Order: sequence, then C-alpha cells, then structure tokens
Amino acid sequence: MPLSGLRVIDLTDERGIYGAKLLADLGADVVRPEPPEGDPLRQRGPLLAADKTAQTSLWHAFFASNRRFFSLDLNAEEGQKQLNQLLQHAHIVLTCDGAFAVEEANLADHLEQRAELIVIDVSSFGTAGPWKNYIAPDLVAGALGGAAATTGDVDTPPLKGFGELNFMVSGVYVAIAALAALAKVRKDGTGQRAGISVHECIASCLEHVLMFYWYAETMQRPEGKVLPRRGALHWSDAYDVVPAQNGSVMLTPAPDFDTQLMWLIEEGVQEDLIDPMYQEPENLRLRVERSMQIMRAWAAGKDARELFLQAQERHCPYGWVLPLEAVAENPQLAARKWYRELTINGQAITAPGVAYHFSDTEGEVELPLRPHAATASNAAAILSDLGWSAS
Amino acid sequence: MNNDNRPLTGLRVLDFTHVLAGPFATRILGDMGADVVKINSAQRAVGTQDPQHPYYLMWNRNKRALALNLATDEGKAVAHELCLQADIVIDNFSAGVLDRWGIGYQAIHKQNPRAIYVQMSGMGDGGPWSKFVTYAPTIHALAGLTHTTGVSGREDIGIGFSYNDHQAGLHGAVAVLAALEQRHRTGIGHRVDISQFEVGVNFLGPSLLDYFANGSKARPAGNDLPYDLAAPHGCYPCKDDRPNPDNIPGLGERWIAIACMSDAQWVALKTLMSNPQWAASEELNDARGRAAHKALLEQNLSRWTQNQDAYDLMARCQAAGVPAGVVQDGADLLEHDPQLADVKFARRMEDEHPDLGPTWIDALPIHFSKTPCDQYERVRAIGEDNAAVLQSWLGMPAKEIATKEKDGVLQ
Repeated sequence: MPLSGLRVIDLTDERGIYGAKLLADLGADVVRPEPPEGDPLRQRGPLLAADKTAQTSLWHAFFASNRRFFSLDLNAEEGQKQLNQLLQHAHIVLTCDGAFAVEEANLADHLEQRAELIVIDVSSFGTAGPWKNYIAPDLVAGALGGAAATTGDVDTPPLKGFGELNFMVSGVYVAIAALAALAKVRKDGTGQRAGISVHECIASCLEHVLMFYWYAETMQRPEGKVLPRRGALHWSDAYDVVPAQNGSVMLTPAPDFDTQLMWLIEEGVQEDLIDPMYQEPENLRLRVERSMQIMRAWAAGKDARELFLQAQERHCPYGWVLPLEAVAENPQLAARKWYRELTINGQAITAPGVAYHFSDTEGEVELPLRPHAATASNAAAILSDLGWSAS
Repeated sequence: MNNDNRPLTGLRVLDFTHVLAGPFATRILGDMGADVVKINSAQRAVGTQDPQHPYYLMWNRNKRALALNLATDEGKAVAHELCLQADIVIDNFSAGVLDRWGIGYQAIHKQNPRAIYVQMSGMGDGGPWSKFVTYAPTIHALAGLTHTTGVSGREDIGIGFSYNDHQAGLHGAVAVLAALEQRHRTGIGHRVDISQFEVGVNFLGPSLLDYFANGSKARPAGNDLPYDLAAPHGCYPCKDDRPNPDNIPGLGERWIAIACMSDAQWVALKTLMSNPQWAASEELNDARGRAAHKALLEQNLSRWTQNQDAYDLMARCQAAGVPAGVVQDGADLLEHDPQLADVKFARRMEDEHPDLGPTWIDALPIHFSKTPCDQYERVRAIGEDNAAVLQSWLGMPAKEIATKEKDGVLQ
C-alpha cells in the first residue's frame, strides 16, 4: 500500500479528520486516541438504525475509517504515559486546536527531541489576528471563507454546501502538508511543524471569486468585482441546471460551440444562432447568452436521462442531476467496483470507496478496508498489538 | 532558486493538465518547490488555456512553460524523452490520451520505472462512462452534489463554484505525494487513476452509508445540518451597506451566519438579544425544541439582525461565545479580512508580467515552520522556457532547440 509502515496519530476534530482519513485509506497506520467516554464525533449523525443496543455513528464510520481507536484516560498517570509512548513512535501527528489530547501531548517537547517528527496543526483562523479565537463550525467557516456568498439563489439565503464540504477542504490540505513534510524528511531528515487555517483553505478554493475581483477590468462584467449567488448558473454564463422531463440537466454549449450548434440545427431549433455575427470572437458572450436561451427551451421537452446520454455521445459535457439513491446505483461506479463492503460494529454495509486506484505493471494495489469499531479498544492491548511500545 | 529549501525542491513534474483541476494540483506542487514543466501549445492556447486569460493566471504560477506540438511525431518524441526524466507525469485528459501518444505509464515504465503517473480523468480509466466529457458542473450534477446542496423542492441550485475541480486538484496532489512515499519504500513509480467523479461522490460518504444501511435518501437541508440538531443554524440578513446602483440581485446584501451548536450558545445568544419574550419559552431550551420551532427562530432572528452592521454583530456574537460569521464575498476577503491580511494571503506578484503588468497571488495555505513556501513566479508565456527546460532536463543543445522551434515542434 502507498503509505504502509507510516505511523500517524490522529488528534483531529471535524476540521482535520478528513486528512487523517485520506492517510488511513492509503495504508498508513493511523491511531485515533479518544477519551474513556468515547470520541464526541461518535455522536454525529446519521446513525445506524438497526443498532438498537448502542449508538453507532455512520458519520464516524466514514470519517474515522481504517483507524485503530485507542482509549486514553488522561486523568490517570497511565493514560499520560500511553499517549507519550504513542507519540514517541509516530512519524506524523495531526492536531486540531482544542481537540482531545492535543494540549496534553506536549508536542513542542517531542519536536525538540525528535528532529524527524512531523506535526500538522489545524486551527479555524490561524494563531494570530483578531479572529484567532473565533468559533467556526462548518456553516460559519464557509460564510467567512467566501463559499456561502456564491452558493444559493437570489430567492434563498446564502447556503452552505451539503454536509461537511468546507472542512473537507481543510482536511485535504492536512494530508498534503503531512505528506509534503514527509517528502522533506525522506530527503534530508528534517521534520517540522506546519500550520493550517481552515479559513485560508476555504478562500483558496473559490474558483472565480478572487479572479473576478483581481481581473475585473479584463472580465468586463456588469456585476463588477463581485458575482452574487445565482443558483447553478456558472460564472461564465455557459453552464446551468435546467428542468427537463423526468428530472433536471446541467447543460452547456461549451467547450465546442459548433458541435452544440450542429445538434440544434439537426433538430431544427437553432433559430438565429446561424447568424454569422455569433461567430465573431467579440460576440462570444452574446452567443453564450443566446445559445443558453434556446437550449433551455429545447431541453424542457426532453427526457433528462436521454438528453444527458445523447449529449455525452456527442462529447458535450452535460450532467444529469442525480439524487443520492441514483448515485448509489450508478453503473460507472458499479463497473469500477467503487463501493465496498465495510463491517461496521459487526454489520456488513455497502460503503463508499476511495478516490484513488494505485497500480503497477502487475495490477491494482489493494487499499485497506479495516472493520470499523463502535468503541475504542483497550489501550494496553493496542500498544502491544501495534508494536509501538518503547521496548 | 538557489538555497531553495522547500519540501519538494528537486522533484520533476511533467504537467499535461488543463483548465482547473489538474493545474491546481500542479500549482500546489510548484508552490512547494517542485520543478513543474507545463506543456501547452500555440494551437491549444485558446480560452482558459490562453496564458493571458485570468483563469489561466489563477492556476499556473510557479511553473515553467514548454511549448510542444504533440500533433507532430517530433513533438511526441520530445515528450517521450521528458517522460524518461520525470518523477511525475500528470494529466487530466480522458483516459488513454497519453497512451495514444506513446507516453503512457506502460510504455515509459520499462525505461523509467521510477516515473509516477497520475491520471485525473473525469470518470476514471474503465467503466461505461469512462469517455464521458466532464467539467465541475457535470460532476456536481452526477455525483449528487447539485441535488443535495440547496433548499427543499429545488434541485437547480448546487454549489456556486467549481468545488469539485479544486478538490480533485487537492486529491491529485495527495496522490502524487503518497506515490512518492511508496516509491521511496519500493523504488517503483506507480500509476494512480483518479476519477474526478469518484472524488465528488466521496463527499456524500455519510449519506451513502445512511442510504445503504438505513435506506434513507438524503435531501437538501438548506443551512441546517442534515443529520444533527443545531438551531438556530442559518444565514440572516443584516443592514445592506454597499452600493448597488444597477440593482443587480443579491449584490448589495449583507448576511450573517449564526450557528448555535449547544444549548449554552443559545443561552448566550438570548442574553445578547436582551432575552426577548419570543425566546423565553421553555420549549426552546434544547436543540430539539428549537429545531421544531425553526420558523419562529428564523423570523425573529432575522428581525433582530436585519438592521445591524454585520461585522459589528459578528464581533459581539463571538465575544459572547456564539459562533457567527459575516457572509463574505470576494471583495470582503480581499479588502476587509484581517486574518487573510495578517498572513498576506492575497498579494501582488513581485515578478511582474511583461505584457499584463500586475498579476495576483492567493498564497499556499500551508505554513511550514522550517521550509516556508513563499516563492512565487509569474505565469509564463507559451514556450517561454523552452530552452531552459530542454537544456536542464534533456541537455539539449541550443542549436537543436532553435531548429525545433523553427520547425514548429516547439510551438
């Protein structure tokens, strides 16, 4: 596996746990300590309905996949000792400020003692500045970070993405920071600490938002430097979600406007789009606008699935707006055997796969699929099992 | 870049990517010190592939530019030689394009077994949809992200920017770095097949588990948490404070997000509101009760926030321990945000563009303590680094480079 042999301690909360998941799903041995009363993230819904005797969090099963859970009583001397033992044998420690065991970990001391140690620290807003202590769950993080302002429609409030989309951005940066720092260790043995602010991470992934501000003069948009939320209509005006028969379709005349035009001509609905003026480069925006106008009306009478498949046959990048249950039954995911059987608290459940397929000339590399435990196991047994003990 | 101490210094990346997802992956690698050679050509440099297009300027800093006409056999031969010297070969074409050019993983691995290939196609290599053409809005629609991000009864909203392109890029960078670690251990470069579609579907992981385990079908939740109780949890209007002379819908509006994640935070919010009568009901003492009376909360909170200054209200909420944040747009991020200003997140490129003048940077949001990544070089014109790249990677003599430029191979 790509990260076999890599030992990681996961002291994250929602803001960084996706990064620990990425490392664990790539084969790192990721240990997640939790308090004797259980990881608070085990309370997060959705829960496993069939589990009548205990509360089993499917949220936790997803985000804490492929971990070894380690119960630590930090009020006891033994717990402190075990935490210290774990840290002494880790290559990478991932933290979020305020998360369980971070303060007790004394990571500055460990960094001083072990030059090759890597520590990645996640905070909401960094370690300085007037907002450094602000509390920011995903909704607030997305609002301040710029994601909410551009999501939603004129008749809705600004919206957050479904689920945990903002924290999944900071989570991936955690994995990148950890692995880039590891590359440096492999090169010259230099370990280090790296700080990640969720706020900066979100602001770095806003596609057109900063571009509109910086290059407003070039863009020459009537909105000026800021494009307000406007549903699914893309900043280029060339992609939008429209209603069709039996569903909705994301349609676009881009990138090859002539291919789309030919299709409209074949169906006799091109209207004035064959006017040579639309071919002039300076009229591109006009062409986009008119094409979308015609295509919206054209799509309304079509079956959504058929339109999507016909478009893709013509290499037009349409999308079919699928509800979750259709995604679950998707033929492409099935053909690639993407879903996997995961054991959660003893029950086999179909689960999402991972975003990577590693292979060499001999075939695909199998990635881990560790059963998910509903509670943390005995610490001493795990230490022994891991072979992480000082002796 | 003398004394360059960044984590990826010395790593050679051959970059065949285009648009956003792939270029974002390689931008991150370049920011961390990798020598990223971006392949483009005069023929392909249109629209967002034009190095002077703002979109291109956003994702292609810290890369050297090599022009290569891959429609010619000689162009393919040069690409082949470069692959033999590369640590990483990365593309986001549909599956199979590099193979058709004779520079796919299988072909190169025999001669350069350490080369890592990362292929970031829309649908992945294999399966009935593998040749489908996708952009982020396509993936959002197919992956369920459009359907779930919105309000009840609407499936035409979705995420208002190309979230999945960024995420595919970030996951691409993770793939490169994980494969590097694997190579460190095994000596072998692997191939990584990333489906941008699978990246997108993955974001609905808990909901998919809920569907398979419990039969529940996730639906848009607006600003609510889809599975946990937290109330109030939404965006509320504040006093509009910006000019909007053309009355463009939404442009002058101000909003604040408020999220009470605990009963204690609700009590703090009530205190901040001077304990109004409407909030006094015992039914609102726990999250379940507040969620059940969502309409009452929304209406009264909006009434309370609507004439207030958003930034001032945020500061007072946060000081009282209530999670709150102004809904910031691009202008806010770049003009008002003290946290971003403190780390110089947004800055003017020191390396001025010869044709465009000033260009801009949003800095890498990773702050390494010993190997800071704080070097930024402007976006290069098509073929601007032909000579430098071909000399440093292949040792190609200047005369041969000049001939290839003249013959249209390096264009």
